[in-house]
This record gives sequence, C-alpha cells and structure tokens, in this order.
Amino acid sequence: MKKQIGLLYSLPQIVWLFVFFAAPLCIIIAYSFLKKGLYGGVEPQFSVEAYTAMANPNILLVTWRTLKMSVIATALTILIALPCGYSIARSKNQAIRLFLVIVPFWTNFLVRIYAWIAILGNEGFLNDILRALHLTTESVQFLYNQTAVILVLVYMYLPYAILPLFSTIDKFDFTLLDAARDLGASRFQSYLRVLLPNIKSGLVTAGLFTFVPIFGAYAVPLLVGGKDSYMLGNIIADQLTKTRNWPLASSISMTVTVLTTGLVFFIAMRKPREQEQVFDADPAFMQTASAGKR
Amino acid sequence: MGKLRKVLLNLSGLALICVLLVLSGCGGGGQSKTLYIFNWTYYTPDSVIQKFEKEYGVKVVYDTFASNEEMFAKLKAGGANYDITFPSGDYVSIMIKEGMLEKIDKSKLKNFGNIDSKVLEQCDFDPGNQYSIPYYLGAAGVAVNKTKVQNYDHSWSIFARKDLANHMIMLDDMREVMGDALKYLGYSVNTTDQKQIDEARDLINNVWKPNLLKFDAEAFAKSFAAGEVWVAQGYAESIFAEVDKSNWGTVDFFIPKEGGPSYLDSMVILKGSKNKDLALKFIDFIHRPEIYAEFCDYFGFPSTANVPARALKKGESWYRPEDLVNCELKKDVGADLEKYNAAWQTIRVGK
Repeated sequence: MKKQIGLLYSLPQIVWLFVFFAAPLCIIIAYSFLKKGLYGGVEPQFSVEAYTAMANPNILLVTWRTLKMSVIATALTILIALPCGYSIARSKNQAIRLFLVIVPFWTNFLVRIYAWIAILGNEGFLNDILRALHLTTESVQFLYNQTAVILVLVYMYLPYAILPLFSTIDKFDFTLLDAARDLGASRFQSYLRVLLPNIKSGLVTAGLFTFVPIFGAYAVPLLVGGKDSYMLGNIIADQLTKTRNWPLASSISMTVTVLTTGLVFFIAMRKPREQEQVFDADPAFMQTASAGKR
Repeated sequence: MGKLRKVLLNLSGLALICVLLVLSGCGGGGQSKTLYIFNWTYYTPDSVIQKFEKEYGVKVVYDTFASNEEMFAKLKAGGANYDITFPSGDYVSIMIKEGMLEKIDKSKLKNFGNIDSKVLEQCDFDPGNQYSIPYYLGAAGVAVNKTKVQNYDHSWSIFARKDLANHMIMLDDMREVMGDALKYLGYSVNTTDQKQIDEARDLINNVWKPNLLKFDAEAFAKSFAAGEVWVAQGYAESIFAEVDKSNWGTVDFFIPKEGGPSYLDSMVILKGSKNKDLALKFIDFIHRPEIYAEFCDYFGFPSTANVPARALKKGESWYRPEDLVNCELKKDVGADLEKYNAAWQTIRVGK
C-alpha cells in the first residue's frame, strides 16, 4: 500500500519528464536519422547524412570555438562567483545580499542583453564617459566580438554560480580556517588548501550550472556577437529556420546533448571519491604546517 | 453540517460551469469574430488594423515574424491557427507546392482591379493569382548616415570601402546578401551556377565582410538609429521606424544602381482557416485606395502595387517605383538552395 502511494507522488514528475523531456528528445533523435525534406521537415527515409554532414570543417570550427568560449566564460564566472558566495556566506545580512543577487534574474533575459548594448555601444554610456574624460575621441568598439559575448555570458550566468557556491560555503565550518592559521598557514594558504577542497561539490555544481547553458547559448552571441562569434546554438537555429535542414539541426542538438550529459555523468561518477578526499584535508600539508609551528 | 457542505459544493460546481461557459463564449466567437494575422514586423500600420476592426466589428490578432524562413518554419511545425500571412513570392510557390494555402475567390474582391497589371505580370510564382494577392513590391536598399559619410556612390561598392570599416552592417539574410553580390557581379539573383555563386561568396567574404560590423536582421535598424553604424543594408520601413523623425533629413536611403533582389509579398489564406470570408474581406480592405495610401504613407513606401492609391498618397516615399528597375524578384531555387547554404555558411561561420 505504501509503495503505491510513493508511485502516486512521483507520477507528476514522471509525466513531466516524459512529456517535456523524453518525448521531445526521442523526436530529435528520430529526426536526426531521417532524410531532409526539400522545404523543411523530414522525409520518412533512414539516413545518416545529418551525422556525416557534421564533419564539415565549418561546423568543427564552430564546435571548437563554442567549447573554447564556454570554458573561458565558465572559469571567469566561477572566479567572480567564489568571492561573492564567500562574502554572502560570511555576511550578517545574508537575506538582503542574496536578494540582490536574485533580483536582476526577474528582469527579462533579452532586456538584460539590450541593457549591455546600451552600456557598451559606440554611442553607449561607457563611450560617453570615456569621451567626457577625454580618454578617447573616437568610439571604442566594445561590442560585436567574442570578448563582448563572453562578458555578457558571464553576467547572465553569474547567479547560477553564486547560489550553489554560497550554499556550500555557508555549511563550511569557518573555525577550520582559524585552525589552519593557528597551524601556521597564511591567509591565502588556508583558503586554497582548507576552504577550496571542502567546497568542491559547490564548485562542481556551479561549473555545471554555468557551462551547460553557456555551451548552448544562442541569443547572446546573436545580439552582442560579431562576425567571429557564431556559436553552436546559432548554427542549430539557422539549420532549422533558414537553411531548412531539420535533420542536421537535430544531429547537432543530439551531439551537444550527448556531450553535456556525458560531462555531467563523468563528474557525478567521480564525485563520491572526491568527497572522501576532502575530509583527509591534505595530510602532507598538515604535516608541514605543524612542522613549521614547531 | 453535511447539508451545508453539499450546498457549497453545488454552488462551486455551478460557478465553474459559468466560468467555462464564459470562456468558451470568448474562444468560440459567437458574436465577435477574431482574425489571426501573421505578418512581418513593421508591415501593416495599427491605424489600418483598427479601422478594419471597427468597420467589421471584429478583433484582429497580429503576430509578427522577421523572415520568410521563420514564418515558414513556424507554420510548418504546426500548432498555429493563423488565417492570413504575407510570404514573399518564392515562399508563395513553396507553400502552394506544400499544400498549405487555400484558393482565393477573386470574384469576392471588389478592389482586385486596383492592382497594377505590371505587378500581376510578375506573379509567375502563382500564375493567375489563384492563391495569393500582391501586397507590396519593394526591395531592401542601403541607408547612409549623411552626417558621418559623404561622397559615396549609389552602389553596392560602398561595402568595399575600408575607411568605413566596422561602421557598416548587412542583413543576416542569405538570399538578400548573396543576391546583392550576384547583382553587383552582373549575375541573376536566382542563379544556380556554382561558379557564379562561388564568385559572389568570395566577394562577400573577402571584400565586404572585413568592413562589416556584423550581419544582423533583428537589430540593424536600432544600431543605425543609435549611430552605432553609419551604413546599413536593410529595409526602409525598419530604418525609418527606428530613426527619430527629427533626424530623417540626415538619412539617405537608396536602392543601389546595380539593383538587388526585390520582393513581392503577397497576402495568402492558410489552409484550415476558420475565417475565410473575413480574411477575404481583409485582403479587399487593404486594396481600397485610401487604405493602401494610408499604409504607404505610414512607412514612406511608394505605392507599387495599387494604382489609384498613388494619387491619394500625401507623404513622400524613401524610393521611387522606378528605382526598382534593375532589381530582380527572388525565386525559389529548389534543391539548388543547398549551394547557397554552403556558401552562406562559409561566410557566416567566419574565422
């Protein structure tokens, strides 16, 4: 009897997963193995053309570029999110600070992108300020390049990194830092060798939460990117809406899904071992630290 | 106690039924009908829509798209229940082939005779206008900010000017930009010759693209209006909708002398439309001379399709019907589109 109720509880979740995840995914898989229709759509005929077409140097180039930009953007996001998460966790008015992180989230995604265009544009705020300070006469071209895309992506996904980092740092026992200092570690060493290993799970979650959506970015490279900022998300959209090659759009989507899920699985499988290591807290370091004390 | 609960339950049940009745009344459209229009951004003025609503006592739902491809992909994917849409010629023929359109009973269109016969002659994508009624014939051109750029030719060669590098923008539209390059090289915008397509690709990739800020079909007019770019290839109506009226004097809009791809957008009724009669009334309404003139004046269009409207137009036009003389209508190139796709991908992916 109890078991049946359990099933009933998870039913909405199962239905949700099936209707909004499994079923669309199956459609994408099926489309990726069909022949393309001349005017969009697919012909009911098996074909692996969509996968062989992916070996095209243009698509490989964009895949490499997307990977590179996603790694840089994710690394920067975490680098910024780490001190933010730490200061929120140690702050007395956590609620207000968390609120401030979340508030911009309530503004529409596109509006926030356009806000960056208003800031960085040739006639934007930043150029106005530079001109007013006589640092430049001509406008500086901030927008429409890869740097602009990375900057806006970092801004967009920063809360996704701050929140998981905050929640793990919040659970961290800060007296461990004092202990490390007592044992002779410098402030920097105590962060690096005591704090970081203990919040590894937060770092991993933050990394995944930012890397996965950034890897599939579409609107940001479209709006603030230039001639050199075409990413995989844009190729997928173009195949679907412009060149009318639905199977190719599906096969690229599949590849992105498999790559990102593979990454998540790989990290999830490794995680338990990492956590064990965390509580060992680097014995070699403890020894040298106590030796120094002596 | 039990009795009270029963009464309450009955009452709430009754309320639910009432709500459902009201909702279905709105959706089903007993007295007031709703016409669903799927149209380009900046293409039918609100004032025209409001007049139509008032005169026929109906409601119009007006959704927009930014390109033929987007419109087609959305309709093809299904789920939409639009009555009228506005495809360009190449897409009219595709949609006829795909069986997506309803035949139009021209005998019910009193104003069909107002349409320029020269425009009707160009409708070889739908001979005899069985499925489509011309809406507007036009072409994308080039807008120049005269305060920043002087001394230029009315030619596509402006995009080869290195001194304007990073201050120019072209549409993120394969057929448009490829068509410009093909026309500049003296070829047809509908060529299927691989050598000509390659030549056009190299011209764009090696000569034009290095000077462009980006390819953009969504925000090009905003960028131009904001002074972000000085030279923009695009549609006049988008440019002038974004540029402040007081600055219109600083904008020069021209159709390059070599010509380019022109478009003939038509009104079509989609298969499965629930309001075919109302859709026909809307099409007829658009070709009333005073309404067509109002539409043209709103966007600064020349009255290309409707003859009597030319005399009724009050405002100026950004270009004249004669400027389109070297332009060529885009046609559906069928499976050869793949050649364009490959060329365009090389251009867009970039280094």
